Amino acid sequence: MGTSYARQRTMILITFLFIPLVLLGLFTYYPAVRLLYLSFTSWDGISDTVQFLGLDNYKEIFTNPDLFGVFLHQIPYVLGGILQNIIAILFAVILNSKIKGRNLFRVLLFVPYIMNGVAVAFMFQYVFDTENGSLNALLGMLGLQSLQHSWLGDTSLVNFSLASVSFWRYMGYTMIIYLGALQSIPGDMYEAATIDGANRFQSLWHLTLPNLTQVIQLNMFLTLSGALAVFDLPFVLTKGGPVGSSETFLLKTTETAFTFNNYGLASAMSIVLLIFTIVILVVQNMAIKRKGDA
Amino acid sequence: MKKVIIVLASMLVTSVILSACGSGSTSNTASNGAGATGDGAISGTVTFLTNRTDMIGTQFDDYAKRFHEKYPNAQVEFEAITDLDKTTKIRMSSGDYPDVVLIPTIPNSDLPKYFTPLDDLGLNDNIYFKDYKSYEGKVYGISVGATTTGIVYNKKAFADAGITEIPKTLDEFYAASEKLKAKGIVPLASNFKDQWPLYPWISEVPTSMAGDAKLNNDRMNSDTPYQMNNPYGKSMTIIRTMYEKGYLEKDVNSTNWEQSKKDVASGKFAMVMLGNWVIPQIIASGTTSDNIGFFPLPYDNSGKVNVSLAPDWAYGVNKNSENVATAKAFVKWMIEDSGFDQYAGFIPVLKDKKATIPQLQQFDSFKPVTIEAVADDPKVTDIVNHAQITKEALVQEFILAHNPQSVLDKYNAAWAKARKDILK
Repeated sequence: MGTSYARQRTMILITFLFIPLVLLGLFTYYPAVRLLYLSFTSWDGISDTVQFLGLDNYKEIFTNPDLFGVFLHQIPYVLGGILQNIIAILFAVILNSKIKGRNLFRVLLFVPYIMNGVAVAFMFQYVFDTENGSLNALLGMLGLQSLQHSWLGDTSLVNFSLASVSFWRYMGYTMIIYLGALQSIPGDMYEAATIDGANRFQSLWHLTLPNLTQVIQLNMFLTLSGALAVFDLPFVLTKGGPVGSSETFLLKTTETAFTFNNYGLASAMSIVLLIFTIVILVVQNMAIKRKGDA
Repeated sequence: MKKVIIVLASMLVTSVILSACGSGSTSNTASNGAGATGDGAISGTVTFLTNRTDMIGTQFDDYAKRFHEKYPNAQVEFEAITDLDKTTKIRMSSGDYPDVVLIPTIPNSDLPKYFTPLDDLGLNDNIYFKDYKSYEGKVYGISVGATTTGIVYNKKAFADAGITEIPKTLDEFYAASEKLKAKGIVPLASNFKDQWPLYPWISEVPTSMAGDAKLNNDRMNSDTPYQMNNPYGKSMTIIRTMYEKGYLEKDVNSTNWEQSKKDVASGKFAMVMLGNWVIPQIIASGTTSDNIGFFPLPYDNSGKVNVSLAPDWAYGVNKNSENVATAKAFVKWMIEDSGFDQYAGFIPVLKDKKATIPQLQQFDSFKPVTIEAVADDPKVTDIVNHAQITKEALVQEFILAHNPQSVLDKYNAAWAKARKDILK
């Protein structure tokens, strides 16, 4: 036969890779490049002509407090995320020990993550409702009327209310990841520690946590990038209200694109969000590596 | 580093969403001259893209049958979507949109690029809003119906509170609200949290007060369009006063639009200030038609009242459609014969056709002067978009602020800056 083995190999490689690469290029890289290009223009989403603006869109983002200032609203999500990791580790440690019904508890804690995000948001609309909501009703029944609040209506409270939903939803997911990591720590290390006289807290602090570093890093990255990109909860529950106090950067981006027809600026905002995520990742990597070296 | 790349790649995937709306609208304009098949007989199948998902499988089936009876060679199909404006825009920019659509919010100067003129339907002299979707003297869109804005109220709630006369002045309106409040009924449902239901207070009511449909467009000539003592400030002061006196929902930040319709139907809420399109929805939420009334908002104490007449979405015919004649015939049929305006609670767009809905007849009995809305000036839209002003958000801030003037100052500053950028 005319074709050598090596040539057949190359041909098969090329033919097998062709379709996935075309799909990848068409649906991932082409739109990304296009997004980058649009971020330098003033495209309105419909016209054929596009005006090139250079860096004006980026200047606008960083100088307009209405656009950039909304990151402040996302601090509660970061705080909630850190708390979420701490609680998740605790639950993972508890549910990794041999207690009764641990599989049931694992499932119970994980279920919120499986639920559809918009459904969760709708559900909490009824929890947080001031007049008929179950949270205020519960507080009223316990005689804690003074704690009743307009959970989604108070400008200083709304982001914490939303962050608490996010905490409830993602805690189980974070916990499952920690649980997986815990189970991969060899049992004989704990045995050795016990023989050396370590108590439970010491083995948690000196044995479990150092073994979890990689996973903590992963979870922190997921949490922080999640906090940067909060969208569905405020979109469904508050539409960014009251008076814009629960607007997030991503909400602002979609608003800029689809309400105000400024696709150029919105593309630039997406790029900024992307860059921020990369920056967080790099900084976090550096911080953890330095700690590891010392 | 590998991780960075993976993360980068996955972020790029998400960015598809934004940029997938790329432009490619010029592609098929040349291939198919609009007249080629357009002046032929009325035949073939046309598709109508509508926002009335609720009518699919029910009324629209009936419409399809009746249209087919009138034009035996023609068929119509219905496609319903919920997010009409965005979806239609995206499909138009990709060049793939049905024969008949409801024209989305695009500048009128772009209309000839996508739509065919409808002047030959012979409706021009007999319709409201002829100029609303027209460009250079040609009509590209005909509104599906007209709406007016006023107070929709529960008659039983009014009777329970001892209100025998419909308020004709602003003072009487406040007095009626006080009576309702004393009865434990929420006088006016603002639907504050949902934001959009506040629109009348910053477009329709100010326009009526000014008696000038061009009020919104005239903002272009000013660096400070929002003033306490001009129609915008006066109109928002009414809703602010309602808020201060406790005539709105107890916690305005926790309102619920779907629930509010039920509450107006049941009489827990007495009034709501919206377009007449809301009337059928409230009736469907659990009451009978004769329990719901409709009157113009008395925005001052003069006893005379203007109301604005605004168009709803407009039918447009795809200029690249294979069956332009059929599509046009369908638009004409929808306006003249379908009965859609009555079903949807609209005021018919044909001037000689009277509204048959009792609430609209009651509304007319107050003899309001109608002000026919004009198309938004694209420059004004540009300024609004550039300044990123959501008009209903302005109303929200105005109502809640300790000092409403500071809110107006803030928006005026954003306006002036955007105006300078756009009109340079």
